[in-house]
Amino acid sequence: MRILIAEDEPALATQIKNVLMSDGLAVDVAPDGGEALFLAETEPYDMMILDIGLPVKDGITVLKNMRAGGVETPVLILTARNDWTDRVDGLDAGADDYVTKPFHMAELSARVRAMIRRNAGKANPVFEKNDVSFDSRTNQVMLRSIPINLTAQEVAVLSYLFHNSGRLVSRTELSQHIYQYDGDRDSNTIAVFVNRLRKKLGGDLIETVRGRGYVIKAAA
Amino acid sequence: MTSLRTRALAGGVLWGLITIVLGLVGLASYLNSQSDARFDALLQTRHTQALVAVANNATFPDSLGRAIGDPIYQRPFSGQYWQIQSADGQLFVSPSLVDTLLPQADPAQTDLVRRDVAGPADDLVLSISQWLTLDDGSRWHVQVASSYDALDQETALLRRSLFSAFGIVSIIGLIGALALVRAVLRPLDALRAEVAARWEHEDGLDPQDYPIEVAPLVTDINSLLERNRETLRSSRRQAADLAHAIKTPSAIMRNELSRLESEGLAVGDAVEALDRLDAQLKRSFARMRADGTDASISTFTDLDDALGRMQRAFTALARNSDKVFAADVTPDLRVRMDKSDLEEVIGNLLDNALKWSRGRFEMSATLTDEPAILMCIEDDGDGIPDGDLGLATLGGQRLDSSKPGTGLGLAIASDLIHAYGGTIHLARSKKLGGLAAYVRLPVPGGPKLDMSESSLGAAPEKPA
Repeated sequence: MRILIAEDEPALATQIKNVLMSDGLAVDVAPDGGEALFLAETEPYDMMILDIGLPVKDGITVLKNMRAGGVETPVLILTARNDWTDRVDGLDAGADDYVTKPFHMAELSARVRAMIRRNAGKANPVFEKNDVSFDSRTNQVMLRSIPINLTAQEVAVLSYLFHNSGRLVSRTELSQHIYQYDGDRDSNTIAVFVNRLRKKLGGDLIETVRGRGYVIKAAA
Repeated sequence: MTSLRTRALAGGVLWGLITIVLGLVGLASYLNSQSDARFDALLQTRHTQALVAVANNATFPDSLGRAIGDPIYQRPFSGQYWQIQSADGQLFVSPSLVDTLLPQADPAQTDLVRRDVAGPADDLVLSISQWLTLDDGSRWHVQVASSYDALDQETALLRRSLFSAFGIVSIIGLIGALALVRAVLRPLDALRAEVAARWEHEDGLDPQDYPIEVAPLVTDINSLLERNRETLRSSRRQAADLAHAIKTPSAIMRNELSRLESEGLAVGDAVEALDRLDAQLKRSFARMRADGTDASISTFTDLDDALGRMQRAFTALARNSDKVFAADVTPDLRVRMDKSDLEEVIGNLLDNALKWSRGRFEMSATLTDEPAILMCIEDDGDGIPDGDLGLATLGGQRLDSSKPGTGLGLAIASDLIHAYGGTIHLARSKKLGGLAAYVRLPVPGGPKLDMSESSLGAAPEKPA
């Protein structure tokens, strides 16, 4: 899962990025509204954290431009302002949720995961297929109720496939959603991650559609 | 300070009274002098008539009564008298004297004498008398007198006529003054109405629509309105910028503390201090907003627009929490409250309802008979125990700490509602079973709301 953080305060942006990356998410940071809009329109993000008080273009303008341009990425707005008018402006412009500063990072992390899950149309935060379960809140993977250790990249691949279960996902799409903007996007390494997952979780969890991609079928 | 209308009216009436009194005194004095002169001249004429009669009838003085033939001398105590005395003391009098006499002649008198003397029945009369010496050497004292009664009656009649005339003039003048004041003040009345009606518009008032004397005032009011708007905008912008400037570092510190805590360091005191700081900041910003509210300025908000925005926003937020939000707002309602302040009130109340509801919360807005706007936000949560309902609108009262929050939402809403002369009443929702917050706010141009205990103590009835 790939997130865009639009936050002009470097320290706060870094804190959010570190927490989300530790959650197994790929994170890009835009320090102003202009870059945020450019990235939102050109990269396939799974959700976006958008500070309202951005330089160059404020958050509301970025959001309106995104929606006007047909970008439907779920947006969580960050606001330091007290008044409801700002929050309602954001929600009315197409945001899906808001968090006010100062916030607890755990709350932000939970909101991000919940938004990604809702956007994928999944009500249950725990995904299950065969004997494998994946808790999207903790990234905990179990095989027959036994915890399995996965690398961050393996978790990212598994999380994306579970969130999009029932749908064929190409290697390119997978690489776009598990690597950040400046990451090394070698789609061939995706096959390596999938093979490792099969070894750890069983060969029938992830199906390969030759020449087209991968799919986890009928996940709960 | 006394109103312009009162000043203009009082000034006009006072000036009118002075004019009328001076005119009345002057005119009465002039007419009195005219009456006196006419009275005097008439008596002089009567004296001359008597002199002529004596000159022509000295030989037969008994015929003097016929020679001075005015019938008024025949009527007893008619007020007109004559008395003629010969040098040897023989008296001839008018029948009107009946059995009385005018004062006797003074033999030493030489010139014509005009004097007030006691007449018949102690009636004061003006007497003119003179010794007349005829060609045959005989001397006659000729005296005529006229009662002041006639003059007094004429003066009284004249005074009554004058008072009546000036009374009518006064009434006409007063009506005229009222009409004049109304006409003169009409542009100011129109100005007041337009200032109230156009406050929320940015285009201001056109000085050319007003008389040249009022136009500079209109220009000043335009400047004042714009300055007030700018001051309000500026103070809110500064508060928002300040909030942004403080809260972002606060968020960074909180996250650093959280990281240190996860590494096993004891940072509980620092986190608690930061919590207190954040709560105090939120309270202070809310107070700044309430203090910056100028409810005396006539402003209004279209509920279709404001509540429509809130409805869309909270429908999205409810969906995130797998809850249902419903709104029932009567169309075309307007409330006398600034839009951002109204959104602050409704936002806080709906946020509470969203947080505490089990699965459903609702918002409604209707017009009451008062007239007032009655808004109700209710949920299907546990509500607040009856004994704690009064505490809920006090700042910092977290009646249930099981969910995050500062306990300021209801207090902020309450402060703003009261700043605009409205009321908030908390009760148990009859429909959903949780908390129901009833908000009454005045309509534009409507009366002040009833703030009596009876109106505050009971849940308002929502019109069907």
